[in-house]
Amino acid sequence: MASVNYAQKEISCKIVYYGCAMCGKTTNLEHIHQAVPARDKGQLVSLATETDRTLFFDFLPLEVETIGGFTTKFQLYTVPGQVFYNATRKLVLRGVDGIVFVADSQWDRAKDNVGSFRNLEENLAEYGYHLDSIPYVLQYNKRDLDPVMPEHYLEYTLNNRPKRVLAFQSVAPRGDGVFETLNAACKLVLAKLRQE
Amino acid sequence: MDEFVVYEEDQEAIDRELRWFLDNSGAKCALLVHKSGQLIAKQGFTHHLATDELAALAAGAYAATKQIAALLGEAEFSVLFHQGEREHINFSLLDERTILLAIFDDRTSVGMVRLAAGQVAGRLRPVLERIATRRVADEQVIRATPRGDLFAPEQT
Repeated sequence: MASVNYAQKEISCKIVYYGCAMCGKTTNLEHIHQAVPARDKGQLVSLATETDRTLFFDFLPLEVETIGGFTTKFQLYTVPGQVFYNATRKLVLRGVDGIVFVADSQWDRAKDNVGSFRNLEENLAEYGYHLDSIPYVLQYNKRDLDPVMPEHYLEYTLNNRPKRVLAFQSVAPRGDGVFETLNAACKLVLAKLRQE
Repeated sequence: MDEFVVYEEDQEAIDRELRWFLDNSGAKCALLVHKSGQLIAKQGFTHHLATDELAALAAGAYAATKQIAALLGEAEFSVLFHQGEREHINFSLLDERTILLAIFDDRTSVGMVRLAAGQVAGRLRPVLERIATRRVADEQVIRATPRGDLFAPEQT
Protein backbone atom coordinates (compact mmCIF):
# COMPACT_ATOMS: atom_id res chain seq x y z
CA MET A 1 0.00 0.00 0.00
CA ALA A 2 1.20 3.50 -0.83
CA SER A 3 3.09 5.23 1.95
CA VAL A 4 3.68 8.91 2.61
CA ASN A 5 6.61 10.52 4.35
CA TYR A 6 5.83 14.19 5.04
CA ALA A 7 9.23 14.83 6.55
CA GLN A 8 11.05 13.78 3.39
CA LYS A 9 8.14 14.73 1.10
CA GLU A 10 7.99 11.31 -0.48
CA ILE A 11 5.20 9.04 -1.61
CA SER A 12 6.12 5.40 -2.22
CA CYS A 13 4.09 3.08 -4.41
CA LYS A 14 4.69 -0.52 -5.46
CA ILE A 15 3.80 -1.72 -8.95
CA VAL A 16 4.11 -5.38 -9.84
CA TYR A 17 4.45 -6.72 -13.37
CA TYR A 18 2.64 -10.04 -13.47
CA GLY A 19 2.13 -12.63 -16.18
CA CYS A 20 3.04 -16.09 -17.39
CA ALA A 21 6.59 -17.22 -17.96
CA MET A 22 8.52 -15.50 -20.76
CA CYS A 23 5.74 -13.01 -21.51
CA GLY A 24 8.02 -9.98 -21.29
CA LYS A 25 7.84 -8.72 -17.71
CA THR A 26 11.59 -8.48 -17.26
CA THR A 27 12.00 -7.08 -20.76
CA ASN A 28 9.65 -4.24 -19.80
CA LEU A 29 11.80 -3.33 -16.82
CA GLU A 30 15.01 -3.68 -18.80
CA HIS A 31 13.73 -1.27 -21.43
CA ILE A 32 12.51 1.20 -18.81
CA HIS A 33 15.85 1.06 -17.04
CA GLN A 34 17.75 1.59 -20.26
CA ALA A 35 15.57 4.46 -21.46
CA VAL A 36 14.75 6.51 -18.34
CA PRO A 37 17.15 9.37 -17.50
CA ALA A 38 19.66 8.58 -14.77
CA ARG A 39 18.19 11.17 -12.39
CA ASP A 40 14.86 9.32 -12.32
CA LYS A 41 16.02 5.77 -11.74
CA GLY A 42 18.03 3.52 -9.47
CA GLN A 43 19.72 0.25 -10.23
CA LEU A 44 17.89 -2.61 -11.89
CA VAL A 45 18.22 -5.58 -9.58
CA SER A 46 17.54 -8.97 -11.10
CA LEU A 47 17.47 -12.15 -9.06
CA ALA A 48 17.64 -14.65 -11.87
CA THR A 49 18.90 -18.09 -12.76
CA GLU A 50 21.98 -18.68 -14.87
CA THR A 51 19.72 -18.83 -17.91
CA ASP A 52 18.25 -15.42 -17.09
CA ARG A 53 14.91 -16.73 -15.94
CA THR A 54 13.57 -14.65 -13.06
CA LEU A 55 14.11 -16.63 -9.87
CA PHE A 56 12.74 -14.31 -7.24
CA PHE A 57 12.03 -10.86 -8.64
CA ASP A 58 13.40 -7.96 -10.63
CA PHE A 59 13.33 -4.58 -8.96
CA LEU A 60 13.67 -1.10 -10.42
CA PRO A 61 13.12 2.07 -8.40
CA LEU A 62 11.90 5.14 -10.27
CA GLU A 63 11.14 8.54 -8.91
CA VAL A 64 9.46 11.64 -10.20
CA GLU A 65 8.46 14.95 -8.71
CA THR A 66 4.70 15.35 -8.58
CA ILE A 67 2.56 18.25 -7.51
CA GLY A 68 3.25 20.00 -4.23
CA GLY A 69 6.95 19.27 -4.16
CA PHE A 70 6.46 15.64 -3.25
CA THR A 71 8.73 13.06 -4.82
CA THR A 72 6.83 9.97 -5.79
CA LYS A 73 8.82 6.77 -5.81
CA PHE A 74 7.49 3.96 -7.92
CA GLN A 75 9.02 0.62 -7.06
CA LEU A 76 8.62 -1.68 -10.02
CA TYR A 77 8.78 -5.40 -9.40
CA THR A 78 8.39 -8.41 -11.63
CA VAL A 79 7.44 -11.87 -10.47
CA PRO A 80 8.82 -15.18 -11.74
CA GLY A 81 6.36 -16.50 -14.25
CA GLN A 82 7.06 -20.23 -14.11
CA VAL A 83 4.25 -22.16 -12.47
CA PHE A 84 6.30 -23.71 -9.67
CA TYR A 85 7.37 -20.32 -8.33
CA ASN A 86 3.92 -19.49 -6.98
CA ALA A 87 5.10 -19.11 -3.39
CA THR A 88 7.56 -16.47 -4.55
CA ARG A 89 4.93 -14.62 -6.55
CA LYS A 90 2.83 -14.36 -3.41
CA LEU A 91 5.71 -12.81 -1.50
CA VAL A 92 6.31 -10.18 -4.17
CA LEU A 93 2.63 -9.20 -4.23
CA ARG A 94 2.71 -8.09 -0.60
CA GLY A 95 1.87 -4.41 -0.33
CA VAL A 96 1.11 -4.01 -4.04
CA ASP A 97 -0.43 -0.71 -5.12
CA GLY A 98 -0.76 -1.31 -8.85
CA ILE A 99 -0.40 -4.15 -11.31
CA VAL A 100 0.66 -4.42 -14.92
CA PHE A 101 -0.56 -7.73 -16.28
CA VAL A 102 1.58 -8.68 -19.25
CA ALA A 103 0.03 -11.12 -21.71
CA ASP A 104 1.89 -13.02 -24.40
CA SER A 105 0.01 -12.43 -27.65
CA GLN A 106 1.02 -15.74 -29.25
CA TRP A 107 -1.81 -18.19 -29.83
CA ASP A 108 -0.13 -21.04 -27.98
CA ARG A 109 0.13 -18.91 -24.81
CA ALA A 110 -3.58 -18.16 -24.56
CA LYS A 111 -4.17 -20.76 -21.88
CA ASP A 112 -1.08 -19.65 -19.95
CA ASN A 113 -2.29 -16.05 -19.95
CA VAL A 114 -5.65 -17.01 -18.49
CA GLY A 115 -4.02 -19.33 -15.97
CA SER A 116 -1.67 -16.59 -14.83
CA PHE A 117 -4.54 -14.10 -14.52
CA ARG A 118 -6.48 -16.50 -12.34
CA ASN A 119 -3.35 -17.15 -10.31
CA LEU A 120 -3.02 -13.42 -9.75
CA GLU A 121 -6.55 -13.22 -8.40
CA GLU A 122 -5.96 -16.20 -6.10
CA ASN A 123 -2.72 -14.80 -4.72
CA LEU A 124 -4.28 -11.39 -4.12
CA ALA A 125 -7.17 -13.04 -2.30
CA GLU A 126 -4.72 -14.58 0.17
CA TYR A 127 -3.87 -11.05 1.28
CA GLY A 128 -7.52 -10.04 1.35
CA TYR A 129 -7.18 -8.01 -1.84
CA HIS A 130 -9.61 -8.08 -4.74
CA LEU A 131 -8.36 -7.31 -8.23
CA ASP A 132 -11.20 -4.88 -8.85
CA SER A 133 -10.00 -2.72 -5.95
CA ILE A 134 -6.39 -2.53 -7.14
CA PRO A 135 -5.43 -0.30 -10.07
CA TYR A 136 -4.23 -2.44 -12.94
CA VAL A 137 -3.68 -2.30 -16.67
CA LEU A 138 -3.21 -4.95 -19.31
CA GLN A 139 -0.34 -5.14 -21.75
CA TYR A 140 -0.66 -7.31 -24.84
CA ASN A 141 3.00 -7.95 -25.61
CA LYS A 142 4.84 -9.52 -28.54
CA ARG A 143 2.60 -7.90 -31.13
CA ASP A 144 5.45 -8.15 -33.62
CA LEU A 145 5.34 -11.93 -33.77
CA ASP A 146 3.29 -13.89 -36.28
CA PRO A 147 0.72 -15.22 -35.80
CA VAL A 148 -0.67 -13.47 -32.75
CA MET A 149 -4.11 -13.33 -31.23
CA PRO A 150 -6.11 -10.34 -32.41
CA GLU A 151 -6.62 -7.67 -29.82
CA HIS A 152 -10.34 -8.31 -29.52
CA TYR A 153 -9.63 -11.94 -28.63
CA LEU A 154 -7.22 -10.92 -25.89
CA GLU A 155 -9.82 -8.45 -24.67
CA TYR A 156 -12.38 -11.25 -24.58
CA THR A 157 -10.15 -13.61 -22.60
CA LEU A 158 -8.61 -11.12 -20.17
CA ASN A 159 -10.72 -7.97 -20.07
CA ASN A 160 -14.23 -9.37 -20.26
CA ARG A 161 -15.23 -8.28 -16.75
CA PRO A 162 -17.77 -5.84 -15.28
CA LYS A 163 -14.86 -3.47 -14.72
CA ARG A 164 -12.82 -3.21 -17.91
CA VAL A 165 -9.38 -1.70 -17.70
CA LEU A 166 -6.97 0.03 -20.02
CA ALA A 167 -5.05 -2.26 -22.34
CA PHE A 168 -1.95 -1.48 -24.37
CA GLN A 169 -0.33 -3.29 -27.24
CA SER A 170 3.41 -3.62 -26.97
CA VAL A 171 6.65 -4.92 -28.34
CA ALA A 172 8.74 -4.72 -25.19
CA PRO A 173 12.24 -5.25 -26.67
CA ARG A 174 11.68 -2.22 -28.92
CA GLY A 175 9.96 -0.24 -26.17
CA ASP A 176 6.69 0.01 -28.09
CA GLY A 177 3.89 0.47 -25.59
CA VAL A 178 6.20 0.12 -22.58
CA PHE A 179 6.04 3.70 -21.35
CA GLU A 180 2.37 4.06 -22.23
CA THR A 181 1.68 1.08 -19.98
CA LEU A 182 3.92 2.32 -17.18
CA ASN A 183 2.51 5.84 -17.18
CA ALA A 184 -1.07 4.59 -17.16
CA ALA A 185 -0.40 2.28 -14.23
CA CYS A 186 1.39 5.01 -12.26
CA LYS A 187 -1.38 7.54 -12.81
CA LEU A 188 -4.04 5.04 -11.76
CA VAL A 189 -2.14 4.36 -8.55
CA LEU A 190 -1.90 8.07 -7.76
CA ALA A 191 -5.57 8.57 -8.60
CA LYS A 192 -6.50 5.77 -6.20
CA LEU A 193 -4.44 7.42 -3.48
CA ARG A 194 -6.40 10.60 -4.11
CA GLN A 195 -9.73 8.77 -3.87
CA GLU A 196 -8.78 7.22 -0.56
CA MET B 1 -1.85 -3.20 6.33
CA ASP B 2 1.36 -2.33 4.54
CA GLU B 3 1.10 1.44 4.37
CA PHE B 4 2.75 3.93 6.67
CA VAL B 5 2.53 7.68 7.06
CA VAL B 6 5.49 9.54 8.52
CA TYR B 7 5.28 13.09 9.85
CA GLU B 8 8.27 15.26 10.71
CA GLU B 9 8.15 14.46 14.41
CA ASP B 10 8.12 10.75 13.57
CA GLN B 11 11.11 11.16 11.26
CA GLU B 12 13.00 13.06 13.94
CA ALA B 13 12.24 10.37 16.51
CA ILE B 14 13.26 7.57 14.17
CA ASP B 15 16.47 9.31 13.11
CA ARG B 16 17.34 10.01 16.73
CA GLU B 17 16.89 6.37 17.73
CA LEU B 18 18.86 5.12 14.73
CA ARG B 19 21.72 7.44 15.69
CA TRP B 20 21.49 6.04 19.24
CA PHE B 21 21.68 2.56 17.77
CA LEU B 22 24.77 3.41 15.73
CA ASP B 23 26.49 4.99 18.75
CA ASN B 24 25.79 1.95 20.92
CA SER B 25 26.36 -0.82 18.39
CA GLY B 26 29.38 0.48 16.52
CA ALA B 27 27.64 -0.27 13.21
CA LYS B 28 28.52 1.82 10.15
CA CYS B 29 24.95 2.38 9.04
CA ALA B 30 21.41 1.39 9.83
CA LEU B 31 18.37 1.11 7.60
CA LEU B 32 14.81 0.80 8.79
CA VAL B 33 12.90 -1.24 6.21
CA HIS B 34 9.25 -2.09 5.90
CA LYS B 35 8.52 -5.73 5.14
CA SER B 36 6.92 -4.65 1.85
CA GLY B 37 10.37 -3.53 0.71
CA GLN B 38 10.06 0.20 1.29
CA LEU B 39 12.81 2.12 3.01
CA ILE B 40 11.50 4.05 6.03
CA ALA B 41 14.72 5.69 7.26
CA LYS B 42 18.48 5.44 7.14
CA GLN B 43 21.36 6.76 9.23
CA GLY B 44 25.12 6.51 9.15
CA PHE B 45 27.48 5.99 6.25
CA THR B 46 25.00 5.24 3.44
CA HIS B 47 26.22 7.44 0.61
CA HIS B 48 27.87 4.53 -1.19
CA LEU B 49 24.83 2.30 -0.86
CA ALA B 50 21.89 1.85 -3.21
CA THR B 51 19.53 1.97 -0.26
CA ASP B 52 16.23 1.54 -2.12
CA GLU B 53 17.57 -1.56 -3.79
CA LEU B 54 19.02 -2.84 -0.52
CA ALA B 55 15.68 -2.38 1.23
CA ALA B 56 13.82 -4.31 -1.48
CA LEU B 57 16.35 -7.14 -1.46
CA ALA B 58 16.40 -7.31 2.33
CA ALA B 59 12.63 -7.55 2.50
CA GLY B 60 12.68 -10.23 -0.17
CA ALA B 61 15.37 -12.18 1.63
CA TYR B 62 13.49 -11.87 4.90
CA ALA B 63 10.26 -13.04 3.29
CA ALA B 64 12.01 -16.03 1.77
CA THR B 65 13.53 -17.08 5.08
CA LYS B 66 10.16 -16.70 6.74
CA GLN B 67 8.93 -19.48 4.47
CA ILE B 68 11.93 -21.58 5.47
CA ALA B 69 11.04 -20.95 9.11
CA ALA B 70 7.49 -22.10 8.45
CA LEU B 71 8.80 -25.39 7.07
CA LEU B 72 10.66 -25.86 10.36
CA GLY B 73 7.58 -25.10 12.42
CA GLU B 74 8.71 -21.61 13.41
CA ALA B 75 6.63 -18.45 12.91
CA GLU B 76 9.67 -16.62 11.53
CA PHE B 77 13.32 -15.99 12.29
CA SER B 78 13.71 -12.77 14.25
CA VAL B 79 17.38 -12.37 13.40
CA LEU B 80 19.43 -13.03 10.27
CA PHE B 81 23.14 -12.51 9.93
CA HIS B 82 25.43 -12.59 6.90
CA GLN B 83 29.19 -12.45 7.31
CA GLY B 84 31.44 -11.07 4.60
CA GLU B 85 35.19 -10.70 4.38
CA ARG B 86 35.15 -7.09 5.53
CA GLU B 87 31.52 -6.09 5.95
CA HIS B 88 28.66 -7.89 7.59
CA ILE B 89 24.93 -7.34 7.77
CA ASN B 90 22.49 -8.15 10.52
CA PHE B 91 18.70 -8.18 10.11
CA SER B 92 16.62 -7.70 13.24
CA LEU B 93 12.86 -7.88 13.30
CA LEU B 94 11.69 -4.88 15.35
CA ASP B 95 7.96 -5.54 15.13
CA GLU B 96 5.56 -7.37 12.82
CA ARG B 97 6.16 -4.90 10.00
CA THR B 98 9.67 -3.53 10.36
CA ILE B 99 13.20 -4.81 9.91
CA LEU B 100 16.37 -3.09 11.10
CA LEU B 101 19.39 -3.64 8.87
CA ALA B 102 22.76 -2.96 10.43
CA ILE B 103 25.92 -2.96 8.32
CA PHE B 104 29.11 -3.23 10.31
CA ASP B 105 32.73 -4.34 10.12
CA ASP B 106 35.18 -5.95 12.50
CA ARG B 107 35.43 -2.84 14.66
CA THR B 108 32.37 -4.15 16.47
CA SER B 109 30.77 -7.54 16.97
CA VAL B 110 27.50 -9.13 15.97
CA GLY B 111 26.74 -9.49 19.67
CA MET B 112 26.97 -5.74 20.24
CA VAL B 113 24.83 -5.09 17.19
CA ARG B 114 22.15 -7.52 18.35
CA LEU B 115 22.19 -6.15 21.88
CA ALA B 116 21.68 -2.61 20.63
CA ALA B 117 19.04 -3.76 18.15
CA GLY B 118 17.08 -5.39 20.93
CA GLN B 119 17.19 -2.19 22.94
CA VAL B 120 16.29 0.11 20.05
CA ALA B 121 13.29 -2.07 19.22
CA GLY B 122 11.63 -1.00 22.45
CA ARG B 123 12.59 2.64 21.93
CA LEU B 124 11.15 2.68 18.40
CA ARG B 125 7.99 0.71 19.10
CA PRO B 126 5.69 3.70 19.86
CA VAL B 127 6.64 5.63 16.73
CA LEU B 128 6.49 2.53 14.52
CA GLU B 129 2.98 1.83 15.80
CA ARG B 130 2.01 5.43 15.13
CA ILE B 131 3.21 5.51 11.53
CA ALA B 132 1.60 2.15 10.77
CA THR B 133 -1.84 3.08 12.06
CA ARG B 134 -2.07 6.62 10.72
CA ARG B 135 -3.97 7.14 7.47
CA VAL B 136 -3.32 9.64 4.68
CA ALA B 137 -5.69 12.58 4.87
CA ASP B 138 -3.67 15.50 3.65
CA GLU B 139 -5.12 17.55 0.81
CA GLN B 140 -1.73 18.33 -0.61
CA VAL B 141 -0.93 14.67 -1.12
CA ILE B 142 -4.40 13.82 -2.28
CA ARG B 143 -4.01 16.33 -5.09
CA ALA B 144 -0.63 14.93 -6.16
CA THR B 145 -1.85 13.67 -9.52
CA PRO B 146 0.21 14.90 -12.45
CA ARG B 147 -1.27 15.86 -15.78
CA GLY B 148 1.45 14.84 -18.23
CA ASP B 149 3.39 11.62 -18.62
CA LEU B 150 5.39 10.73 -15.55
CA PHE B 151 8.13 8.87 -17.38
CA ALA B 152 9.52 9.05 -20.88
CA PRO B 153 12.61 7.80 -22.67
CA GLU B 154 15.62 10.08 -22.37
CA GLN B 155 16.01 12.21 -25.46
CA THR B 156 19.44 11.75 -27.08
